[in-house]
Amino acid sequence: MFPKLDPVLHSELRLAVMSLLAGVESADFTYIKQQTGATSGNLSVQIDKLSAAGYITVEKGFKGKKPCTTCAITEAGMEAFRSYIEALKEYIST
Amino acid sequence: MTAKESLALITETMNNNRKEITRRGGKYFVLWGILLTFFSLLVYCLWKTTGHAEWNNLWFALPIIGCPLARWIRAKEGSERTGNTVSRVISGIWATFGVFACSSALFTIIFTKCNPNPIATIAAGVSMTALIVLLFGMAETITGVALKNWAIKIAGFVTGIGGVALYYIIGEKGGFEEQMFLFTLSGIVLVATGLIVRHQNR
Repeated sequence: MFPKLDPVLHSELRLAVMSLLAGVESADFTYIKQQTGATSGNLSVQIDKLSAAGYITVEKGFKGKKPCTTCAITEAGMEAFRSYIEALKEYIST
Repeated sequence: MTAKESLALITETMNNNRKEITRRGGKYFVLWGILLTFFSLLVYCLWKTTGHAEWNNLWFALPIIGCPLARWIRAKEGSERTGNTVSRVISGIWATFGVFACSSALFTIIFTKCNPNPIATIAAGVSMTALIVLLFGMAETITGVALKNWAIKIAGFVTGIGGVALYYIIGEKGGFEEQMFLFTLSGIVLVATGLIVRHQNR
């Protein structure tokens, strides 16, 4: 019996965002956009979904006069990410 | 997405992210290297022209100019908190080096002000230079270890041992030209390190 893959993570862009945030303390919207190559609109929607699942925190603030959105992975997000990778490994090994 | 594609995406994103963060770190090596080279040459020229060793106090302007500049670059690229383990270790190493180097320089100044013996003053200057270059070499070598780069490891070792060699070769004779040469060399080594880091992580 295969373990069920987390539907929140099983999407290309959301998975890329989680993989990126797993390796840093936090990252701002522009950096995530640059690294994933996503459009602002799509990225914004996916970030909201990850945030609603409690996998990331989203902090909206200002850098000087410009608005700045900073994202960071939560403990629950890290745990879900680890479980997702374990599940993937099981899929591949069988 | 298949399981394989998902794992490949995770690996690729993580690798690209690690490379980008390390590549951005290279910028700070170049910045500090340019400043170090500039100040070495400036102090050397002023010291040689006027004969006053007090020009060495200009060294304290290096962190005063360098720190806000580094902070400005970080703010400009929006990476204040975008760091990984390697970049944090490297920042820690160089921050520790900066604190140790400035503290040693301060102690030397206090010591030389309290001790009127000119030979002791020169000896203190030489040993301070040797100590700073040795610390620099250690920081550079540990950076090479963290980045798994042999060129940086060797450059750090050569510069650090250069500091020790300086101490034994010129001893109490002074030799400010040799001291300034070592500082200039250290600056060039830093710039080269930054360029290597940036090239390696393109």
